[in-house]
Amino acid sequence: MNKRIVSALIKKDIKSMLLSKRTWGPMLLVSILLCILLPAAIAYGGAYKDNLSFMSGQNIDKTMESVVDRLPSSDFKDQLLSLDTLGQKFSFFFLSYQLVSIFLMVTVINSMVTATSSFVSEKERGTLETLLFSPITIKELFVGKILASFIPSIIITYVAYLASFALINSLTFKVFHSLLFINPMWLLLMFWVVPGLVLFNILLNVLISAKMKTYQEAQQFGGLLILPFVGLIVSQATGLFLVSPMVLIVLGALLYGLVVGLLLLITKMTKRNSLFESQIH
Amino acid sequence: MTKSIISVQNLSKSFNKQEILSNVSFDVQEGSINGLLGPNGSGKTTIIRLLNGVISPSQGKMELLGFNPITHGEEIRAHSGIVTESTNLYHEMSAWDNLMFYSKLYNVHDKERAKSLLTMLDMYQHKDKKVGTFSTGMKKRVSLAKALLNRPKLLFLDEPTNGLDPEGIQLVLHYLKELNEQEGITILICSHVLHQLENVCTSYLFIKNGVMLESGTREELEMKYIKEVQVLIETSVPLDLATSLGYECEEKGEGQLVFTLPSRGVIPTLLRDLLSKGPVYGSRITNQTLDNLYFQIGGAAHE
Repeated sequence: MNKRIVSALIKKDIKSMLLSKRTWGPMLLVSILLCILLPAAIAYGGAYKDNLSFMSGQNIDKTMESVVDRLPSSDFKDQLLSLDTLGQKFSFFFLSYQLVSIFLMVTVINSMVTATSSFVSEKERGTLETLLFSPITIKELFVGKILASFIPSIIITYVAYLASFALINSLTFKVFHSLLFINPMWLLLMFWVVPGLVLFNILLNVLISAKMKTYQEAQQFGGLLILPFVGLIVSQATGLFLVSPMVLIVLGALLYGLVVGLLLLITKMTKRNSLFESQIH
Repeated sequence: MTKSIISVQNLSKSFNKQEILSNVSFDVQEGSINGLLGPNGSGKTTIIRLLNGVISPSQGKMELLGFNPITHGEEIRAHSGIVTESTNLYHEMSAWDNLMFYSKLYNVHDKERAKSLLTMLDMYQHKDKKVGTFSTGMKKRVSLAKALLNRPKLLFLDEPTNGLDPEGIQLVLHYLKELNEQEGITILICSHVLHQLENVCTSYLFIKNGVMLESGTREELEMKYIKEVQVLIETSVPLDLATSLGYECEEKGEGQLVFTLPSRGVIPTLLRDLLSKGPVYGSRITNQTLDNLYFQIGGAAHE
């Protein structure tokens, strides 16, 4: 494999992505809104103002109590119970647990945008034909495309994580007296599950893109992948299922297993001739 | 002595049980400019794709630059260049960035190559502008520069004059002749607009409905298919006097006579005879255009 060719593909794709507001605009917006501004607002409102007015009902109080009851005995549970107000409890719980699902969902959205644009946009611009006419191997093409989708997705996720870490801890440290987002669960999430999830999602989307004819088709199909994470958010909110380090270890292992499976599938399914005949007319 | 750089034998290709190419055989000599001519949908693009090894044939043998495209497509693609019908460049990137990207794919390290090609194609002053802002002609020229980055031995051009104005067409064809003469590149041009390639190609391949009708040099094909020569002569010699000289002749317009002759060799004698009867202002052969040759060949093959 020619590293120079792969790096040229990656640089070209990232440059194209940066030049296309249609691609990076929604990614940046979703990341800032859901991973930075939303948790910052909940952190500030819950920790200082206790004015999360939508939480004033008794039902919420009861739901919060039942969720806390389900928590296994731990330092986290003790810390949560020691907080004074419902707002503080909610914000501490949201930032520690529910934000995990939101981060996962944003990661899926971002990697889907970068991955879908990788093959389908080449096809729509007619440049896939030129690439297939060049001396680049299909392996180099796929590796280049996968890395060109992986790098920006993971960078955006990590920047959002670091920004969230800095902003939210600066807001809440005085109240919670501990740093958020640096416990084993968050570290496992960011450095074990997220890379696996990004890779899995990219491979799946690259495979879908290579088979689908248009950008819209590929995005619609790829969009289905968000559903499990919406389900995770709901289940966490109701206390039905809580993410734990063990869950994340298993989820990560499952994702890496699927990554290997998809890699094998892509290697088998994508021959230059079949790719050309299915994509170029 | 020239040698074959492309050799194709009994090549067939089907898509979804529909035969696109049927038993196509031809050779292309090194250093020649070849016109692969035929109507839209006749299989020209399919031939280029097969020769580059990006699709597989249903049957048949091919050899390019000594390689089989099915097993050694990468070697062929590394030593050839292609300009596809739609120019296929990255519109959001500048002409220079496009060429630098393709330089890496083709393992070209020398930036001077891109610079000299853009200069030759009169595009260097536009190198930092985005390709999306270019006219079709400018895109074609950048695409041609891209195809030449790796100093190809073989250059494939699929409908290179599509979408160009007359001036653009002349420019592109002029560059191609220059490239062939200066760098010795063998060129295969696909086109359905025959008259544009009138003075460019050294050999022709005529294709229709996936069947190779005929191939050869202009002289070879004319010898074979043009059985009589029609000459339009501008003269004030009247029709009856011209006919009395023993030639088959008819009046086309005022002062214009069309003579049907058995061969070109008779033209000097005809002109001498006419000049003895009156003034001759001009003469030209009317039935030896590429279009006429194509129709003769197409007609002959389907009789």
